[in-house]
Amino acid sequence: MNLSDKDRLSQTINQTRELLVHLENNEIEDAQELIDSLATGGDEDLFVEIGKLTRNLHEALTNFQMDSRITDIAASEIPDAKERLNYVIEKTEIAANKTMDKVESCTERSNTMAKDSQELLKEWKKLYSRELEPGDFRRLCKKIESHLEKNKNDADELHAELTEVLMAQDYQDLTGQVIRQVITLVHDVEESMVHIIKMFGSMDGYNSAKGKTTGKEGVEGPVVNADKRDDVVKGQDEVDDLLSSLGF
Amino acid sequence: MKILVVDDFSTMRRIIKNLLRDLGFTNTQEADDGNSALPMLQSGNFDFLVTDWNMPGMQGIDLLKAVRADDKLKSLPVLMVTAESKREQIIEAAQAGVNGYIVKPFTAATLDEKLQKIFERIDG
Repeated sequence: MNLSDKDRLSQTINQTRELLVHLENNEIEDAQELIDSLATGGDEDLFVEIGKLTRNLHEALTNFQMDSRITDIAASEIPDAKERLNYVIEKTEIAANKTMDKVESCTERSNTMAKDSQELLKEWKKLYSRELEPGDFRRLCKKIESHLEKNKNDADELHAELTEVLMAQDYQDLTGQVIRQVITLVHDVEESMVHIIKMFGSMDGYNSAKGKTTGKEGVEGPVVNADKRDDVVKGQDEVDDLLSSLGF
Repeated sequence: MKILVVDDFSTMRRIIKNLLRDLGFTNTQEADDGNSALPMLQSGNFDFLVTDWNMPGMQGIDLLKAVRADDKLKSLPVLMVTAESKREQIIEAAQAGVNGYIVKPFTAATLDEKLQKIFERIDG
């Protein structure tokens, strides 16, 4: 029985009038019959509602079980993502060390070049102030020749090392791709969780929690959304200002 | 001058060591957290401590507090180089007696400036 509220109301009014008439006329059996039918009429609506709820619950449970995406995510994609992120740590560490190896080697080479040039320059200046003996001059010429040769080799070496520094930056492309895959996974997890909240939780709670930026208690590492927060400094200048306001 | 550099990431220790070397500080040693740093400080005659905050094991802030609580070490200058950037953390470090606070990412010029400032204050 699917009547609108208005229909149901007028039906009930009519039935009540009828009941009153039966009672006034002392027709007890008819009145009893009417009361019984009134009670069953209500039950029918209730049963329909319970039936609907049961069907919804059944569908929700079936959907939940059928959502194999969640199973896949938990069983293989999250462990896989952990492996991928470890790969990022590894790759960036290797690149940083390789770059620093080369930078250290270049620094050493440039220091030697500067020192050698400095010494040679000192002797060369002696030539102007006529402090050089004829024999010394020949020796100086030899030194300059070997210095220039060494410089040429060093320049080639520097170039080769700088090329290696350049090539060590290829991690950016590889780790970028891997991180993008993990971002996609995080997005899928988010969708699945929203789906679960829709079925079993409260969307109001979800909506009010949305957009809240929560800072972690204690240590939290680099802050990536400093612009949206007012409990963090945005750079060294703000650190210095804060410390000087404390009397540092 | 003997300096101890404490950071859980070897690449960051290496960067700081390289920058210190360019500034003329060649006598540096490394530790990867407070637990390994503290015994080194207690037995090693260090003149300066550069430490990160967020490390597994003993954190930098606890290392700073341990240094200040140790009679032999309490006047050791401590420079914090960390990604921790909450105001309350900077205040906590200041109250614990840090001598300088550098927030990552930082530049060679910032490190130089903070070191100079700390030395000026010690000498003056």
